[in-house]
Amino acid sequence: MLVLLSGVHSANAGILDEGAERYRPYMIEGIGSALAGAQELRERAAAGDLAGAKKAWISARAGWERSEVFTTGFVPELDAKIDAWPNADSGFHAIEAKLFGAGQTDVDKDAAALEEDLNDLHVKLKDMRLTPQGLLDGTARLTYEVGESKADGGESRISGTSLDDMRNNIAGIDFAYHTIFSAPLNTADGKLDEMVTTRIELLEAIVAAPDLPHIDIPRLRRASEELVVALQIASTKLGLQRPTLEAQAR
Amino acid sequence: MNSPWLRLATLASGLLVVASLGRALAFPVDGNQTVLPTTTELNEDALEKPREVFQSERAGAKSYMVNLGDLAFNSPAILGDVARQAGVSCGTCHVNGVGNAKFFMPKMSTRPGNFDVTGPLFNPKANNLVLDPVRIPSLRGARYLAPYGSDGRSASLRDFIRNVIVNEFAGPEPSPAIIDAIVAYVQDIDFLPNPTLGPGGRLVGNVSEAERRGEALFSKPFPHDAGLSCAGCHVPSATFVDHQQHDVGSGGLFKTPTLRNADFNAPYFHDGRFDSFDQVVDHFDRAFDLGLSPHDKRDLVAYLTAVGDGVQPYEHDGAGATLKEINDFNLVLATAIPSGDKAIVALAVDTIGQELRELTERYPDRKNTSVSGGAQQRVRARNSLKELVLMLRRIDIAVAEGRSADAATEFRNYRYLMAAAVPALLAGAEPWSLFNQDVHDQHYAALRQVMQSKHLSH
Repeated sequence: MLVLLSGVHSANAGILDEGAERYRPYMIEGIGSALAGAQELRERAAAGDLAGAKKAWISARAGWERSEVFTTGFVPELDAKIDAWPNADSGFHAIEAKLFGAGQTDVDKDAAALEEDLNDLHVKLKDMRLTPQGLLDGTARLTYEVGESKADGGESRISGTSLDDMRNNIAGIDFAYHTIFSAPLNTADGKLDEMVTTRIELLEAIVAAPDLPHIDIPRLRRASEELVVALQIASTKLGLQRPTLEAQAR
Repeated sequence: MNSPWLRLATLASGLLVVASLGRALAFPVDGNQTVLPTTTELNEDALEKPREVFQSERAGAKSYMVNLGDLAFNSPAILGDVARQAGVSCGTCHVNGVGNAKFFMPKMSTRPGNFDVTGPLFNPKANNLVLDPVRIPSLRGARYLAPYGSDGRSASLRDFIRNVIVNEFAGPEPSPAIIDAIVAYVQDIDFLPNPTLGPGGRLVGNVSEAERRGEALFSKPFPHDAGLSCAGCHVPSATFVDHQQHDVGSGGLFKTPTLRNADFNAPYFHDGRFDSFDQVVDHFDRAFDLGLSPHDKRDLVAYLTAVGDGVQPYEHDGAGATLKEINDFNLVLATAIPSGDKAIVALAVDTIGQELRELTERYPDRKNTSVSGGAQQRVRARNSLKELVLMLRRIDIAVAEGRSADAATEFRNYRYLMAAAVPALLAGAEPWSLFNQDVHDQHYAALRQVMQSKHLSH
């Protein structure tokens, strides 16, 4: 039996590694999109175009939020710097406070730092070692985070884009799962793969609401937890360790 | 206010108020996309919480019904959509069974500590189109204090609670078991002990001269109507109530409130119009032409303060207090899991899970710029609490699918972690948590700083 299991694990390992490689272009595209948004943000802000700068911030933010499956686990220090809150002196939320809060466009220093950080990361992505375990950890963590209360307006409360953050997070979860884990899990346990897919679709349906106050928060929380539980069961079937819920907890 | 100087002066005075309030200032609901009106003050970040005393704990332990009622009382799930979305429960206004004196909601409150239960937000069908908020009352000793409601409209606590859930907060019709449980919980909340009060509500022990004189004045007939006295309605031997409604010149008939533990029940009167006993005494002096001298008034206030006292009214909030409450709620699961009660298990899992998620946020994550140090301790604390949340969810799933043995096994593991490992991890991270006053203040100062940039610009 052990021999059989070990065979399954090594077979899965190859498939999972291939899946992780298929995930890489998505990751590069997401950070590339965030980088392009940051560059546009600098230009619009330098031109004193507040509306344009806000639009570029939202665009950059979307690329970043889609990529959170890997940023939290693979580049935790950079993630903490770029996504720092509440009174960050750098990163997205520092710029958000100035653009959307104070209505000012004097964000060049912060935007330049953001652009530099994103550019450095973008360059490194093609050679970064992507482990299936790390990507499963990131997927589970982000899924749990999606279920957190948004009664106070959520993470991007000043710009009012917390719902966009959630949608982009779930898009990232969906892509990571179906690119890396779905096929090998389907081989090991078709029903579980179907359950995970159904639960991701439920999350997507919940965040399709028109605005944050119309999100059914208790249902969202339940759905997020049920999906994490399913991903924990899946980890065993895939020959991986159970995902941890905090980066650096392993 | 068109003058820029006036605007500047107003802004400066506002900032002064913020600065002078310092630690007392709580953080309001804010942001562009909140369910509750912006600047709603829930006071959820307070580090000093009212102490809750239960009658049954003196005799042994709380019953299943009391714990279930406590859980339901603190669950937004039993209320309507708006409350559920906002995470508002009965316990939001009645923190540990005591009125939330800082609660304030624009367009539903006229001052901190009152709330319009017939306002537009939670149930538009119950909206009477008048801003007529009532004081949020303490529930201590409620079993002695019928009738219920500030106007004493309901003789039955059960009917009153059902009305709050279904009509005022638009919740679904609760099961009889849930209403019975909430009634059991509310009836179990006791007054804080007051060693100064002896048999018949008389002051005993080390009583000051002013308090003695105040006690005599309290029972003295009113000069223009000898049939009336303070003690005639606030009957000392009957928990300082007479179970009647009276017109005391405040705009209608309102029931006599108890004076026990009233030191901690401000604001006063049915609408919370008065902040202090001094104002209350002044009102009665005017309304009933009592002719009280300043000396008399001071004596009456001294007496009211002695009667209204209680032992250890507040306790510092910390992981220990939250875990104790959660452990009481766990006892509900200990009964509901073996009996396969899907509805109660789901309610308990959602409520306890939310409490655990809120507890998690007391340990700031590594992205939080207002906290430094203890990164690993915070990670471990957060991770352990998240694991508990997921264990509960697995219990919920197992019970829903009829896998009672799996649910029981999971619950045993959950209780095991709750008993030792998790408390130890939380204690290890406490110095860097929001339970630490300095960390707490830095965190909320940072949040305020960010949100002020928004408000100053608009």
